[in-house]
Amino acid sequence: MLVVDDERAIRLLCRVNLAASGMDVLEASDGRQALEVARKARPDLVLLDVMMPEVDGWTVARELAADERTRDIPIIFLTARADPSDRRLGEQLGGVGYLVKPFDPVSIGDVVEDVLVRIERGEREQLRRGISSERER
Amino acid sequence: MSTAERSEAAAADRARRLQRVAELLAEAVTPDEVLQAILTDGVQAAEARAGAIGVLSEDGRSIELLAQQGYDDAVMIGFESFPLDSDLPMSLVVRTGEPLFIATLQERNRLFPALSHQGQEGHALVVVPLAVEGRVFGAMSLSFGDKIEFEPERREMKLTLARQAAQALARSRLYEAEQALRERMSFLAEASAVLASSLDYNATLRQVAQLSVPRLADWCAIDMVGSNGEIERLAVAHQDPEKVRWAYELQERYPPDPNAPTGVPQVLRTGEAEFFPFIPAEVLDEAIGDDVELRQIVDELGLRSTICVPLIARERTLGAVTLIAAETHPPYTQTDLDQALELARRAAVAVDNARLYREAERGSNAAQALAYVADGVVLLDTSGRVRHWNPAAAAITGVTEQQALGCPVADVVPSWEALTSHVPLVAPGGAGRPVTVPIMLEGRERWVAVSGVDFGDGTVYALQDVTEEHALEKTRSDFVATASHELRTPLAAVYGAVRTLRREDVELSEDDRTQFLEMIESEATRLATIVDQILLAGQLDADAVELEVTDCEPAEIAARVLDSAATHVPDGISFGLDADGPLKIACDENKLRQVLVNLVDNAVKYSPGGGRIEISVRGQDSRCLIAVSDEGLGIPAEELERIFEKFYRLDPQQTHGVGGSGLGLYICRELVERMSGRLTVESKPGRGSRFTVDVPARR
Repeated sequence: MLVVDDERAIRLLCRVNLAASGMDVLEASDGRQALEVARKARPDLVLLDVMMPEVDGWTVARELAADERTRDIPIIFLTARADPSDRRLGEQLGGVGYLVKPFDPVSIGDVVEDVLVRIERGEREQLRRGISSERER
Repeated sequence: MSTAERSEAAAADRARRLQRVAELLAEAVTPDEVLQAILTDGVQAAEARAGAIGVLSEDGRSIELLAQQGYDDAVMIGFESFPLDSDLPMSLVVRTGEPLFIATLQERNRLFPALSHQGQEGHALVVVPLAVEGRVFGAMSLSFGDKIEFEPERREMKLTLARQAAQALARSRLYEAEQALRERMSFLAEASAVLASSLDYNATLRQVAQLSVPRLADWCAIDMVGSNGEIERLAVAHQDPEKVRWAYELQERYPPDPNAPTGVPQVLRTGEAEFFPFIPAEVLDEAIGDDVELRQIVDELGLRSTICVPLIARERTLGAVTLIAAETHPPYTQTDLDQALELARRAAVAVDNARLYREAERGSNAAQALAYVADGVVLLDTSGRVRHWNPAAAAITGVTEQQALGCPVADVVPSWEALTSHVPLVAPGGAGRPVTVPIMLEGRERWVAVSGVDFGDGTVYALQDVTEEHALEKTRSDFVATASHELRTPLAAVYGAVRTLRREDVELSEDDRTQFLEMIESEATRLATIVDQILLAGQLDADAVELEVTDCEPAEIAARVLDSAATHVPDGISFGLDADGPLKIACDENKLRQVLVNLVDNAVKYSPGGGRIEISVRGQDSRCLIAVSDEGLGIPAEELERIFEKFYRLDPQQTHGVGGSGLGLYICRELVERMSGRLTVESKPGRGSRFTVDVPARR
């Protein structure tokens, strides 16, 4: 897993709780670093914050999708932006999940696992489309 | 004395008597005086026992007895008025114009069998025609105590007397008619003057009613047609105010039936005058019905004769004037009706003029008011042509009144359809909710709130330029949206930390646990700061921030701010203070500290690579300059001013993650300005920034 957030607190929450679900966690504190790590380590999934200095989450998603080596890495957005228009953008950028802060970090392991299982089952497109219709916070 | 002498003396006597009568008649002015002279001195001069004078009625179909002298009242009963074609001496004389000399009662009864049962005391009878310029208008009868064979001289004497009487009577009647006409004309002139005296036609009509009694009537009432077609009594006049009060009570108890077949309702309905020279019993019966009390009231009123004329102007019946002859006024004649019609005509014109004037005045007042209202007001007729276009409408649309008037609105404002297609038209009095629509006018986007009323003959639109309000509203909603974003991240940290700490299925390391607790503490503090700043920004917007201005030393405040910041300074950052000697300013100490704390926090945040952060305090002329400088990231030149905007972030997509509310610099600048100072910034990207608070120094 790669957790991208400029807030140390959010990274810490994700790392501890994902580790509790038995996952290995990498961290990046800005967009540029996120792209570097993703290209190098090819994580199974990226938890991606949107509002970050300089290179933001949307840009990271675009660049990951544009790069052969990273285009298949599933992205779950983890953001304070709750507007429907932001959800639509997340969907257009190929995200497979959209979590709005504040979120429950305890269940984040389950969410990630569920997404991975469904992708395995070939439901990636459904997950993507579900982003803008999702009502959960 | 010989017969000849006697006869001569008698002739001289007759001439003297005739002379005397002629003198008296010459002095008589009114018909009453003339009749008096004829019937006393004339009858006496003719050596008659009794006399009577009758004249043709107005319609020429009957003879009315004007006066008599010497007959028993009982004898005259039934002869006050009789048809011209009846078989009576006076009728015959008026019909033929020939005098009648009847020597004996027997002869009379033979000629006029209808009279044979009466007149025992009468013997000879003379009936002579009263004529002027060959036109017979009446007759005079003379009755004698004996039977007399009238010799030519005596006949001539009667005829001379009749000629004198006829001339005097005609003259006096003419005089009377002229007097009456003069009176009527003066009344009409007076009424006209009253009507023209004011535009308050309710008041002038009341005066006219008052003026009408007792000259025109015993009672005068004026009723008007109300705005909903109801009958409104405007005035009742009678010489006795007590009776007026009583009439109003009566009206209240017996309100007029709008469908009544006679009276005011009928006149208002038909627009035709109603005239009863003598009120027929059946009309009263019809009006009274079985109401015993009302019958008594009507009997007491003694109504004799009525005229009810409509007030008509421009083919609309505005009301009615009712004249009633009761206790004093003689029954009405055609002349009275003519006068009433003339009065009504003048009154109607006056009312109509007053109403038109008021309408015109209202119209011009309305236009004047519309010229000054801030809302655009547009009046369209049913074909969509512009009928009114006030200056505000011109300002909003950019189309002048001159360009718009009379033109189809879609021609002058191409975006009219877009502007009004979603506006629900309501009926007059309806609550039309304005619809706010954006339109492009002369290349700029304007937001216009439009509401419309359809009043049948057209549509009125009210346009309000709400572009500024709309921008404000957008700023406000953006503020709320952004503020909620700002709150989400620290909230996520606090909530997440608590959830994680409470996990029972995971054993947290001591280090993680400590970090989570610290996280809760710091993020909760951050939340509180953001909330404070949002509130403060709101207060600043509403201009509700109060300052407590005292003398204070900025160097001292700066030192304390740096001390406090030093307790949680990241690695690689050092603080410094560079202050001139003691310097005092007048300001709110807490607010100034808040500003410096914010500037120092920003300096730390934007110095990720560390460096020196320094506060300098300098006196310069009458100013005090407090500058916070860093060696951090710096600010691109094009962003230097925008950083003071609410929620503006250095990152173009507002995605900058450097914590805070996005309100810090906005609040700083607002606070400094409220302390009569300025907050400015200089920066070189990559080299650092310097924020300077410039406030007046205290002497």
